[in-house]
Amino acid sequence: MTIDFWGLGLQAVNVLILVWILSRVFWRPVAASITRRQEAAQKMIGSAQAMREKADAAYAEVTEARANIKAERVALLETAKAEAEASAKATLANAQARAEEMRKAAEESIHKQTLSAQKAHAAHASELSLKIAGKLLEHLNGPTAQSAFLAQLVDAITRMSDVDRAALLSSQSTIEVVAPENIGTDRDAIVKAIHKALGAEPELEFVADPALIGGLELRSTHFVLRNSWQADLTQVQKAVTDAA
Amino acid sequence: MNSPLESEALFELGPIPVTQAILTTWVIMVLLVFGAYMLTRRLTLRPTRWQAAIELIVATLDTQIAETTGARPAPYRAFIGTLFIFILAANWSSLLPGVEPPTAQLETDAALALLVFVSVIWFGVRGDGVSGYLKSFAAPNPLMIPLNILQSLTRVFSMFVRLFGNVMSGVFVIGIVASLAGLLVPIPLMALDLLTGLVQAYIFAVLAMVFIASTVADGTSKQSLTENQKET
Repeated sequence: MTIDFWGLGLQAVNVLILVWILSRVFWRPVAASITRRQEAAQKMIGSAQAMREKADAAYAEVTEARANIKAERVALLETAKAEAEASAKATLANAQARAEEMRKAAEESIHKQTLSAQKAHAAHASELSLKIAGKLLEHLNGPTAQSAFLAQLVDAITRMSDVDRAALLSSQSTIEVVAPENIGTDRDAIVKAIHKALGAEPELEFVADPALIGGLELRSTHFVLRNSWQADLTQVQKAVTDAA
Repeated sequence: MNSPLESEALFELGPIPVTQAILTTWVIMVLLVFGAYMLTRRLTLRPTRWQAAIELIVATLDTQIAETTGARPAPYRAFIGTLFIFILAANWSSLLPGVEPPTAQLETDAALALLVFVSVIWFGVRGDGVSGYLKSFAAPNPLMIPLNILQSLTRVFSMFVRLFGNVMSGVFVIGIVASLAGLLVPIPLMALDLLTGLVQAYIFAVLAMVFIASTVADGTSKQSLTENQKET
């Protein structure tokens, strides 16, 4: 058995060369690739971790914001509730006040309407009563009533002031003696009594006016001496209306 | 069939006789380098199936080295890995008709054993320095120096003989059976030879790793001991 030392050396060199070449061509690139991938994976894990931390922070922020929103919502709801209650109370109070005002206005209106109705009724009643009275007094328009009215007219002329009497007498127009119907036989007696009461003898003209119902009145352009049922009833009606 | 104990020169390069084993080694080298180049020329972050496979091989080798030596695998990766791949390729080349595996020749196995012996010294010196490495022979006491030197020589010798014996015997047996029984009979033996080749490559690489690791570990433990003493 012999060993070829040239062959041994050459094989040793061959293997050494192979080790050197494969170290550069195979082992180092593959190891570097593994390292690169590990680094990339580590980087990705790092970035993922960072993203996760970011996401966690964002989640925490969102959770906090949600809690704040919830609290804010509760506060807003409470505020809105309080405002609504206050508004409702105010509206209710306003409505009550308006209702009270409307009630008072209605009461006043009813009261006014009642009063005006009462007045109207009173006026209507007085008018009716006066018409009734007028109708009744028409039946009493006899000689007795006529002489009584004449006496009253004479009395009224007598009680006139001198100024009024002078004004009546100095009137250019004729003095009218107004009666409800034409006076026939008693005309001279009436003229005499009036002349006597006036203390002068002005021209007198007899005029019929059925509206008087009953009575005697003196009328000139600027002067009227009322003395009739119609004047009395008008006064009564005025008094009743004023009273109402 | 030629004697496995004798190598016949095919031609000569000056004073160097080029045998069949050397020629086969060169072919294997070219194929390995070309294959490695083709596999690693387009490495990407998103690996292909081939890239994943070679990365798995490298990662497994790194794990083995790390578990055996307890050190970073980078300084030993190229040497141990190339030894394993080359021996495996050389052993399995016996399956090609007309090819005699380089590891079935004494010179190749002796060269591999010599490289392991030199690498043990190299890594030992690189780890502890020359004096540190030489002092490791005096562990646990100077009386052990001759025995330690003998151990370092014999273990390398045993590696070379084991590899040569196994591969050569496999080739020899297949050759004898093929010459006696015809073509198809050696197939089971060839299959068995595949397994033997793989196991032998693995054993050779692991033993080389263990020897280097023991030297490095000795230096490291000594270094750490001295550092601890300095600290105290």
